[in-house]
Amino acid sequence: MIIKLENARIYDPINKINGKVKDLYIKNQYIVDKPKSGEKISKKINLKNKIIMAGGIDIHSHIAGGKVNLARLLLPEEHREHLYPSSENLRSGSGLGTCSSFHIGYKYAKLGYCAVFEPAVLPSNARSAIIEMSDIPFVDKGTYTVLSNDDFLLNLIQKKISQKKINDYVAWILNSTKGLGIKIVNPGGINAFKFNQRALDLDEKNKKYGITPRSILKVLTKSLIDLKAPHPIHVHGCNLGVPGNVNTTIKQIKAVEGKPMHLTHIQYHSYDNKGDRKFSSGASLLAENINKQKNITCDVGQIMFGQTVTASADTMSQYKNHHFARPKKWICADIECDAGCGIVPFEYQDKNFVNSLQWAIGLELFLLIKDPWRIYLTTDHPNGAAFTAYPKLIKLLMDKSFRDGEFEKINKEAQKSSVLGNLKREYSLYDIAILTRAGPAKVLGLTNIGHLGIGAKANITVYNNKEDKEEMFENPFMVFKDGNLIVKNGKIQKVFNGKFYTAETDFDKKIEKEISSYFQKYMGRGMESFKIKNQELWDYGIETENIKCDRNDY
Amino acid sequence: MKNINFTCPFCSLLCDDVQLEIKKNSFKPVNSGCSLLVSSLKKKINDQFSRVNGKKTNISEAITELSLMIKESKSTLFTGMATDIKGTKAALNIIDKYKCIVDHFSGDSYSKNLKSMQETGGFFLTLSELKNRADTIIIFQSTGEELPRLFEKYIFPKKTINNLKKRKVIFIGTKVPKFFYKNKKIINFEFIKLDSINLLNFLSSIRNSINFETKEAKDKRILYLLDILKKTNYGSILWNASEFQNDISDVIINEINLLIQDLNKFTRFSGLSLSASDHVLTVNEVLLWQTGFPIRTSFANGFPTHDTNQFSTKKLIDNKEIDLVVWINSFNEKSIVINKKIKNVLIGIPSHPQKNNVDIFIPVGTPGLDHNSHLLRVDKVVSMPLKKIRNISLPSVDQILNKVKEGVTDDN
Ligand code: SF4
Ligand SMILES: [Zn+2]
Repeated sequence: MIIKLENARIYDPINKINGKVKDLYIKNQYIVDKPKSGEKISKKINLKNKIIMAGGIDIHSHIAGGKVNLARLLLPEEHREHLYPSSENLRSGSGLGTCSSFHIGYKYAKLGYCAVFEPAVLPSNARSAIIEMSDIPFVDKGTYTVLSNDDFLLNLIQKKISQKKINDYVAWILNSTKGLGIKIVNPGGINAFKFNQRALDLDEKNKKYGITPRSILKVLTKSLIDLKAPHPIHVHGCNLGVPGNVNTTIKQIKAVEGKPMHLTHIQYHSYDNKGDRKFSSGASLLAENINKQKNITCDVGQIMFGQTVTASADTMSQYKNHHFARPKKWICADIECDAGCGIVPFEYQDKNFVNSLQWAIGLELFLLIKDPWRIYLTTDHPNGAAFTAYPKLIKLLMDKSFRDGEFEKINKEAQKSSVLGNLKREYSLYDIAILTRAGPAKVLGLTNIGHLGIGAKANITVYNNKEDKEEMFENPFMVFKDGNLIVKNGKIQKVFNGKFYTAETDFDKKIEKEISSYFQKYMGRGMESFKIKNQELWDYGIETENIKCDRNDY
Repeated sequence: MKNINFTCPFCSLLCDDVQLEIKKNSFKPVNSGCSLLVSSLKKKINDQFSRVNGKKTNISEAITELSLMIKESKSTLFTGMATDIKGTKAALNIIDKYKCIVDHFSGDSYSKNLKSMQETGGFFLTLSELKNRADTIIIFQSTGEELPRLFEKYIFPKKTINNLKKRKVIFIGTKVPKFFYKNKKIINFEFIKLDSINLLNFLSSIRNSINFETKEAKDKRILYLLDILKKTNYGSILWNASEFQNDISDVIINEINLLIQDLNKFTRFSGLSLSASDHVLTVNEVLLWQTGFPIRTSFANGFPTHDTNQFSTKKLIDNKEIDLVVWINSFNEKSIVINKKIKNVLIGIPSHPQKNNVDIFIPVGTPGLDHNSHLLRVDKVVSMPLKKIRNISLPSVDQILNKVKEGVTDDN
């Protein structure tokens, strides 16, 4: 069956289409070329005056795993405030920042998103996180497995083991945990906190292993390049949230010596310590560096005002932040000799100096980093805000007068110390399509999503062309996933599950001997029950899409 | 006769180091004497018929009956809920659609943990952290009977990453676990005898000393423990909600969670709750991700409403606030409460002694014996894959419930 979408204005940066009126054809879940004469077109949909982009891709959003469930447990009040009734074809649910799984899928679909990546899956928690994700309908999913604090790896680095062997271990982890990428979180710091170190700078030594975050960062960055992994190393650096950390972030950029690295939620890593309050924006400084260093990509982790909850594997930082918990309660955990987690509920207030400046810093970064192909739109859901805030964030980027109006409302001191008011840049629809589709697809090494070319998945979002960009992005006219109409005018049509992306890589099987004996001695369970088998995923109806590790542009 | 590797489903340690000697469909552990494992494998299955009103019938008839009952019920409670991830998912599929209530065998004790988590949070750890990291372990009143090999594998292990030769183990409570006495010659531990009320006071004094450095004359035992706490590099505290005096257990747990948070001001400490019987944690995790709320949640309004007091199994049954209760237990023969004034259904293992006393009985297999399965360990972080090892055609909870749901939906 061929569906023709007629007369829409199309924004498809990967194929360099910038607002041209063009027809699209869908056949068997994919976008196809114009059918030959004689081939039957079963359905024509006239989309005159509508705007089309590929389905959105969220490169970094905490949608599943132990930490999200702990946050749900901690905050029944949030869930009571956001209740969703069941209906004929939809399940009931609750919550905003830590929304229940089915509704995460429903909400992303309604925003025109078709792929979402869970960026902090701990190796030990991978199996249940993936099973949990099988209850998030519609969107394609994938995970980044957290390394950089596990005792096994730190021990290898301490012993100055060859890069080759480390690559084997990284590949083994990717395979065993079904990850698409590898995430670094506060390298060595989560582990150091288990030995009561309260901070760990880039060149400071972990007490137990005597190695520095810099060495971990370098080794893992190289690993993913050597493995030709689809996505370069995904980095949540040292000193998250600490005033002055912009210098650490810049040192980290230098540390990888021009190699590809993705810096996540850079808003939290762009703080300077100037001024009376010893807290100021480091956005210009960081943007300048990123503009120069073409090897660096980033996502912002914009904060939006209101109540949310922060959830991170970075126990060291989250423990530090627990003083700011609102409501006053928090959870931390030391986890399975591989990492940790910290849950701190948080309310970002526009009258508060620090929060206001955080908000402004995020926007400064968006506007000062010039190349839209290297910066992606995130709120680090739910840390900066729930992903449902994206339409408003898009409006802030596209509409200077709206932005100026919002800027007027924040804390006056913060206004004085931010350059935001002077920044004239407005994002175009083409830019937004890069930030939310083309760019993320490219950096993730996924070639069948994020664009509307022949052979791409028919993940298509149709927007009403509205002056108010928040309204426009909040409520797409139609959303297609794999060629199926899933949302029409804000109403969900038919429910099904997307695919699960994993990286497919090879390694020297000899490494398993060592890992197996480590598990036997220390972990209290065998290596075999750590490794996730394909059959287990199939049992939950999870269909995997394996991405070969053959990226050749590193 | 042959030996197979086995991951044991009978408690939330989910040991995967068990070897079974297998003879037809009978199994004998060859490398572990865990009493719970041994007794669980010994259950004799005489028949595996379904029953309606105590009369044997075939399974499809029983399923049809149950579908009908759910359709006619004004308010159904699903409880017991001793099942795996898939079983929970299948149950929630019905519970949500037909506006039922969900609780668990461990609802009473586990809800005390829940309350404390919801009020204060906490600082937790997982089993391998306990095994490898802790140089001090304090156990508050837990006999460990729910997790028989906890002491052997994680508290007194042979090897640890951090070479903890002089681990201090302190037991505070009334009754020292049997394991400690049995192994007296090879392990070291200390015992501070306190009942629940005194424990509560003890905890408060310790917290006061830590937070306010009070100088008032102190109990020798408090001074002793304070000294240990100060010398600890990484400590962990274990407790079991079901073993404290029931009416004050929530306050005790809260004090423990606060104490752990306090201790982290100067050293490292974390805790682990040991109440995990009948896989309440597995059920709870699925509930949390699918609905946003833990056990004791009602869907009567079309959306989840959570209340640890209102939706207690005992209260709902005693007050006849429901007209149908569906008990699920795929692991053991734990007895169920039957109120003859309401309808009672049991989806349980074929040897369950109350199978003739309920309106409908549907036999099911055990996860990890009769079908592949996933269960969560006591720390909630690690989930273990379990494999089918027995071939006696017992269906799984999810297979039954999916059919029941089809039945309810069909004739709509
Ligand atoms: S401790 Fe628990 S899981 Fe381990 S063998 Fe005994 S019953 Fe089975
Ligand atoms: Zn994040």
